[in-house]
Amino acid sequence: MKNNVFRRTLGSIKKLPLRCKEFFKDSGRETYASMCFMGVGQMINGQYVKGLLYMLAEILLVAYFALQGISDIVGFFTLGTVKADAWLGIEGDNSVIMLLMGIFAWIALGFLVYLYFANIKDAKKYADMKAFKKIPGIKDDLAALINSKFYKFALFLPLLGVLVFNVLPIVFMILIAFTNYGGTIVPPELVDWSLDSFRKLFAGGELAQSFARILGWNLLWAFASTFFNYFVGLGLAILFNKKCVKGKAIWRSFPVLAYAIPGFITLLAFKFMFSNGGPINNMIVDNGGKIIDFFGINSKWMARGIGFFVNAWLSVPSIMLLATGILSNINTDLYEAARIDGASGWVQFKSITLPFVIFSTTPVLLNQFIGNFNNFGVFYFLRGDVLSDGYFLASDTDLLINWLYRMSIDKEYYSIGAAISLVIFLITSALSLIVYVKSASYKKEDTFR
Amino acid sequence: MKRIFAIMLAVFMMAGMLSVFAACEPSTQITLRVLENDTAKKEGYLDYLLNAFNEKYKDENVVAVDANMDEYSNLEQDGPYGHGPDVLYQANDVLMKYVDGHHIMPINVTEMDVFEQVPQNAWDAYKYDNNGEIVYCGIPVNVQQPLLYYRKDMLPEDWQTEWDDNDNGIPDMVEFWNELYLYSQSIRKSDMSKYGFALQLNNEYFNSGFLFTYGGYIFGNNNTDDTDIGLSAGNAKLGGKIIWDLAGIMDEKCLDDTFTTGRESMLANGTIFATICTPDMTSSFVKELSAVYRKEGLSEEEALKKVDENLVITGLPKLPANGDITVRQDVTDDSLWVAHKTMGGVNGYGISSYTKNREWALKFVEFATSEEMVLKRAEMLGVVPARADALQQVGDEVAEIIFNNLDDGTIVVMPSISAVGQIWLPISSGFKQIATDGCGDCLYTMDDIQAVLETIDDNIYKAIHTFG
Repeated sequence: MKNNVFRRTLGSIKKLPLRCKEFFKDSGRETYASMCFMGVGQMINGQYVKGLLYMLAEILLVAYFALQGISDIVGFFTLGTVKADAWLGIEGDNSVIMLLMGIFAWIALGFLVYLYFANIKDAKKYADMKAFKKIPGIKDDLAALINSKFYKFALFLPLLGVLVFNVLPIVFMILIAFTNYGGTIVPPELVDWSLDSFRKLFAGGELAQSFARILGWNLLWAFASTFFNYFVGLGLAILFNKKCVKGKAIWRSFPVLAYAIPGFITLLAFKFMFSNGGPINNMIVDNGGKIIDFFGINSKWMARGIGFFVNAWLSVPSIMLLATGILSNINTDLYEAARIDGASGWVQFKSITLPFVIFSTTPVLLNQFIGNFNNFGVFYFLRGDVLSDGYFLASDTDLLINWLYRMSIDKEYYSIGAAISLVIFLITSALSLIVYVKSASYKKEDTFR
Repeated sequence: MKRIFAIMLAVFMMAGMLSVFAACEPSTQITLRVLENDTAKKEGYLDYLLNAFNEKYKDENVVAVDANMDEYSNLEQDGPYGHGPDVLYQANDVLMKYVDGHHIMPINVTEMDVFEQVPQNAWDAYKYDNNGEIVYCGIPVNVQQPLLYYRKDMLPEDWQTEWDDNDNGIPDMVEFWNELYLYSQSIRKSDMSKYGFALQLNNEYFNSGFLFTYGGYIFGNNNTDDTDIGLSAGNAKLGGKIIWDLAGIMDEKCLDDTFTTGRESMLANGTIFATICTPDMTSSFVKELSAVYRKEGLSEEEALKKVDENLVITGLPKLPANGDITVRQDVTDDSLWVAHKTMGGVNGYGISSYTKNREWALKFVEFATSEEMVLKRAEMLGVVPARADALQQVGDEVAEIIFNNLDDGTIVVMPSISAVGQIWLPISSGFKQIATDGCGDCLYTMDDIQAVLETIDDNIYKAIHTFG
């Protein structure tokens, strides 16, 4: 199907010149009028209200661009030319605001272009129709909007909301990665476009080296902990599903209890338990041992391991709950048939339970993977006060997200933070897209419905 | 019925709208928003200050109010859009990070009466070089530095004969680091669950002083040049060695926050004999210790009296000039000892550049830094005033020690340039590394310690300049 979309797009691009030619060949004066000024064609067609709306839209948008939009787009490129100085009373340019307003102006420009072409198409459509049919008035248009074209009407506001509250900030964040914003360069200093963040991140040097190290550990962590948590959760669910287990409700409630306590409180509790003056070390000392510095400066793999199990403590219960629900959906006849055929418990698990559960939980698995990849809390709370040798302002337990936090929030290097998050986004989105498209739950979406 | 209901509704709505209009009526009154710290709010000092100011200028159509913002809210982000306070009270490093962006105003302090009363070292914390012209962007109010807290009733019975070689009536172990080291060692030897001196050794604020004493510094050129980082400069490694030695009289508990979160209760239950802390925490020490005394059967009044007697807060002990705290030295020979330099801070008032009433903001700051108000602040909050005249009236021994330390440079005031935000984590991580070896394998030589200090410098430099 992917292939199809691609081929179709390519085909329509190839046909574009030809279609343009045809379009102009059989266009009348209505179309040309609309090309000159939006809405005129509609007026000629006799659709006065629609024509007026188009005209109004053009006037408003052009006025916006004349008063504000053009300077916003220019500002998008320059990111400010006059430095503010509160002592001298110079108001100056705020680069960050200019970037934001610039993005907004681009969106407005896109909207204007869309309206313009829609207007031409609309004028031509009804000009052609006029010859042999009565064309609809505004009342009919409005009626269509709440009937056959209701999706447009219903989705307009949500779409606008998504644009303003989701797309705009994401685009803003992505663009920040291509500037030098951060550190000493924050308003009133002027920000500039720059590729330095990526150069520093990839083109050798200490930053690139620690980026590679952190990324390697991050990938290991994400795969290992997702795999471990998933199968432990599934194992617990299967165990508590067995008839031979007595007091299921009680056993099940323990993981749920662990799940119900807010994560960061659990993390702080674990930090205390493993701290040098904490209960675990007290027990070790009472039994004649020596204090173990679990989260110390040299305890790389010990700290990583503890983080791994603490994370399992936090996320296994949710997988268990989910798997419990899914297991109850499996048709027990399948197992009975398998038993009659002489399949062992392992074969039953491998051929019936696992495919079914994985089929239903692939999206959740992806969610878990991304959650683990970006697992900020574990190492921030457990070991946030250490810098390791060979790492640029990071410790050997830090994940990319912790590094990003330290760079952008603690140290206020926003552009490098944005660049790292862009890399995280690319990795997680590419991985999840590939896994999802390749997975059974996407390919055979209708099978189990 | 329905109609009546509708009319009533309409009337209510009208009334609501009218009241909104009334509220929007432009007022000609000048409002000054004052950002203070949470302690001042909690202890009622802010109310006192605002009332006193408003009382004094009640005929002038001006009113000062609590800005009602987070103690650490960012002027850089709020100010330009008109949401910031007019006047702010902050530590010098926080206040001065706003200067580079010109978010706070220079104040013409040399003509104010407070100028003569505050030591130059405190003024330096607010000094700014504006293209060759020296300006001051804040007015110091009080000074802070770490102090030694110890229990008098945990001293050995015979301290007057055995631990007071200089015969000044003060136990040597709270006067000299070598004696404190030795005493702590003897405590550890008799009972491994107890400590003599205990402190979180990766705390950058309390422990940097060891480096400063022997020639280390944070930034060059009086803490203004962020390209010159000197925590390993001079003989700073002697200070690093002291941190390493101190780790030896504790254990791994000095590597995380065990001795910070637990210091009050540990001092109270006798687990530790002495620690270092800033005076703003005194009340919680008193609370914990008096609770222990009450458990022993004393009444509340008696317990507090006993705390007053036994909880001693004093300046930091002297360090040996040769940097070796593990060997006893003659305490009567002054030439063998040097003052323990320590990091400290100067809190003060600044004026936002975005205030619409500069004159009134200045008047407010002048009022708030007057002798009367600074004295009141010291009394209500237990802080050490930066004004000499206010200090004299407080008449407190510890306050005097701190004030003199500030005056003679024993307090190294936190740098006031924006790069200061980048120094903390590298320092604490490096100290942790030294202390980890000191209480564990004990393999480090002087060269290793020097190497760790150089790594700290290097990390700080990278943090500041990699993206600059």
